[in-house]
Amino acid sequence: MNREEDRQARLELMSAIEGGSTFWSHEISVRGSIEVVQRLKSGDYLEHSPSATRRIQQSDGEALRELISNAKALVIIPGDSEWPTQLNDLDAPPIALCLRGVADLRSLALCSIAIVGARAASSYGVRLASEMALQLGERGWNVISGAAYGIDAAAHRGALLSGALTAAVLASGVDQPYPSGHDRLYETICANGVLVSEVLPGVAPTRGRFLVRNRVIAALTRGTLVVEAALRSGSLRTAADALTLNRSVMAMPGPVTSPTSAGCHRLIMEHKAELVTDLSDVLLHIGPLLAENSERVAATNPRDQLTEEEKALLEIFPSRGGTSVEKLMNLSDLPANRILALLGLLATSGFIERDGAGWLLTKQGKA
Amino acid sequence: MTLATTRSIALVGIEGAVVDVEADLADGLPAFYLLGLPDASLGESRDRVRAAIINSGESWPSRRITVALSPASLPKRGSSYDIAVAVAILAADSKLPAKDLGELMLMGELSLDGRLKEVRGVLPAVLAAARAGIRRVIVPITNVQEARLVPDVEVIGFRSLGELIAWFRGLEPPDQLPIQDQLMPDVKVPLDLVDVVGQHEARRAAEIAAVGEHHFFMVGTPGSGKTMIAERMPSILPELDRDGAIEVSAIHSIAGCLSGNEPLLIAPPFIAPHHTATRSAVIGGGSAHPRPGAVSLAHCGVLFMDEAPEFARGILDALRQPLESGFVSVARTAGTAKYPARFLLVLAANPCPCGRFSGDGRACTCSSLMVRKYLSRLSGPLLDRVDLQVYVEPVSRVDLMGNLRGESSAAVHDRVMAARERSASRLARGGWRTNSQISATVLRGEFAADARGMSLVHRALDEHRLTARGLHKVLRLAWSVADLEGHDRPTIDDVAQGYALRTGAQRLVGAA
Repeated sequence: MNREEDRQARLELMSAIEGGSTFWSHEISVRGSIEVVQRLKSGDYLEHSPSATRRIQQSDGEALRELISNAKALVIIPGDSEWPTQLNDLDAPPIALCLRGVADLRSLALCSIAIVGARAASSYGVRLASEMALQLGERGWNVISGAAYGIDAAAHRGALLSGALTAAVLASGVDQPYPSGHDRLYETICANGVLVSEVLPGVAPTRGRFLVRNRVIAALTRGTLVVEAALRSGSLRTAADALTLNRSVMAMPGPVTSPTSAGCHRLIMEHKAELVTDLSDVLLHIGPLLAENSERVAATNPRDQLTEEEKALLEIFPSRGGTSVEKLMNLSDLPANRILALLGLLATSGFIERDGAGWLLTKQGKA
Repeated sequence: MTLATTRSIALVGIEGAVVDVEADLADGLPAFYLLGLPDASLGESRDRVRAAIINSGESWPSRRITVALSPASLPKRGSSYDIAVAVAILAADSKLPAKDLGELMLMGELSLDGRLKEVRGVLPAVLAAARAGIRRVIVPITNVQEARLVPDVEVIGFRSLGELIAWFRGLEPPDQLPIQDQLMPDVKVPLDLVDVVGQHEARRAAEIAAVGEHHFFMVGTPGSGKTMIAERMPSILPELDRDGAIEVSAIHSIAGCLSGNEPLLIAPPFIAPHHTATRSAVIGGGSAHPRPGAVSLAHCGVLFMDEAPEFARGILDALRQPLESGFVSVARTAGTAKYPARFLLVLAANPCPCGRFSGDGRACTCSSLMVRKYLSRLSGPLLDRVDLQVYVEPVSRVDLMGNLRGESSAAVHDRVMAARERSASRLARGGWRTNSQISATVLRGEFAADARGMSLVHRALDEHRLTARGLHKVLRLAWSVADLEGHDRPTIDDVAQGYALRTGAQRLVGAA
């Protein structure tokens, strides 16, 4: 089967059928996209889906390609090098994906985490989401979310601040910013990540498409973190999808009286999610996969993260009492500015601290 | 002719206002009235002027004399109007030609025998006169050097009222003192960092402070060299430029502490008020008439507060206004004066009241509570404005016996100047002068450290080793370190040095 014919056929299917249907996924995997298109056009599925039959008969391959290029989008299909193969874990993988942005979705998603939650988030949730995204981003984890108001937007913003890549999976076309108040957020994500959608450009979001979209977020990432969710929240659907796919599901607790955290508490209570409170908890569940990419991941022994020079300075610290730059200079033959830099590095990693009488080892430094 | 006007200058803060001195001789019982809100020392001017005129061989007009100083509503003080009053009376009595008196500014005190005596505030007064368009000033001869600092003004000095009268009548003015080269550097042997043995951390901190004008806090036992280092800060700071030198000299002139021989201060001033100093002495004040305090005398230089915790709490907190805005406003009955006060603050403190809390702390006789409380007398808001903190240890035996001399001030000064040059154009974009002024918002954007440097501070922030305010201090210091090291942007090492030297939430005194 020719790759370009496959792409064209899948494009036509995107215009005719909604994503997330196991029936169509099965048909495509058994017969191939080209045959499914032919059968649809000839009316073989008229009984099963009259609307899809009608739509495919109206579709125009040339116009579809134009639609894609006008939206400055890119269509990827299974088998493309950019196709994230973890999507194939889904019962109903997307027929194809429309992408807009600068990042390569497959490598971005390789080391990614979903941060999801309520649109009507409290300031507590917004702060947590952006903090977590920032800290994860600084350690090389890319954040994938849905660009909605509330937690989603906070997660994207935190990720962008960290300089990591971020992807937004949309329920609308990649040229249809929804909600429109997030125009600028979309542009920033485009310039520092990628927008992903399994519907064609120009398509508006519907309730059904939001739910279907959530499974893509769950499948793309190594784990899903629910920061704040009410009892009826789309993010619980994402969590359920992630659980089905055997991805880690994590939830952050809130005050027990807060309705915006009730969904998280329910997940934890039903043992569907792990309770996490900070970065190290999250890293524990998604795995310190990126040790080589991040500079100082919390490894088993933080001392291993030190450079030889830092270790050497730590060695000459007295085990009791303080020391000073002067004493360290006499013991190490390093100049004062070098010693000050090393002291700063050791202090930020918690091995030493300053007190009124100079520098001392902390509990961690004595260990 | 029974009316004549001369001109002098009244100082409010370091600004001067032209004062017209009008003398009117009228018929009636002989009397002498002085109008225009004179204070006590100016009121006594009547007796000095009368005695000086008579003792200069002139006759005192036996008429009803009214001298008005206008603007009448501006309070005036001091003895510097004496010769303006005397000349106005003599001119009104037609003893002197009254021509061109309006083009002349007169300033000086008279003694009873007619000699002209040195007065305070000549430099700012002449500056004000020049701004008002007066091109010729007359001062006591001892104030000539100071007055000559103002460009484009003809300064004529006199020793006595007799000489002045003779000059008005057409004689040559007396020989002026030799004119010094006005920008001759201080001839005193300046204090040099060469004398500081060891103390590498404090030296490094002083260097960084000089680059970015970071206020600086030293903790250490008595005799460990805190004062030595502070006294030598001016030697590594940039010299004053001409405008700065005149401004600083003007403030010192008002305070009356300008030397007649070296009227222009070129080196950054070093002012060290004693810890028992009153608030007026430190901030500025006086009973009725405002005077500049230590903070203004230290303008463009170093304000050293040794034994900082011993200062009255209110005084340290009053430093916050000048630290923030670069000037102080002092309000008194005679008006509100605004003095410039942009200084580098150097604080020094013993670690505890007895001063011996160092090493294992065994020599210290203070209770642990006293130790803990001592440094906390320095208020948080004050320390927030201080970027650098170092612990100054007693000099070690190795350092003392090695007889090693430290690096000279000249070498450090060169590095500081090179670093300042590097930062100047970058800072000018934001309208700042020094790294310590960079605003917090851009420190996380345009003025952030490089990625590894930022991740270092962010990590410290995440792990609560650093507050958001502390983060900004660290980054400001990191910029000064980067300027010294010649980096375009602070690297992780620069940031780490900033972190090691910052003031902040570290326990000031703690576990032995």
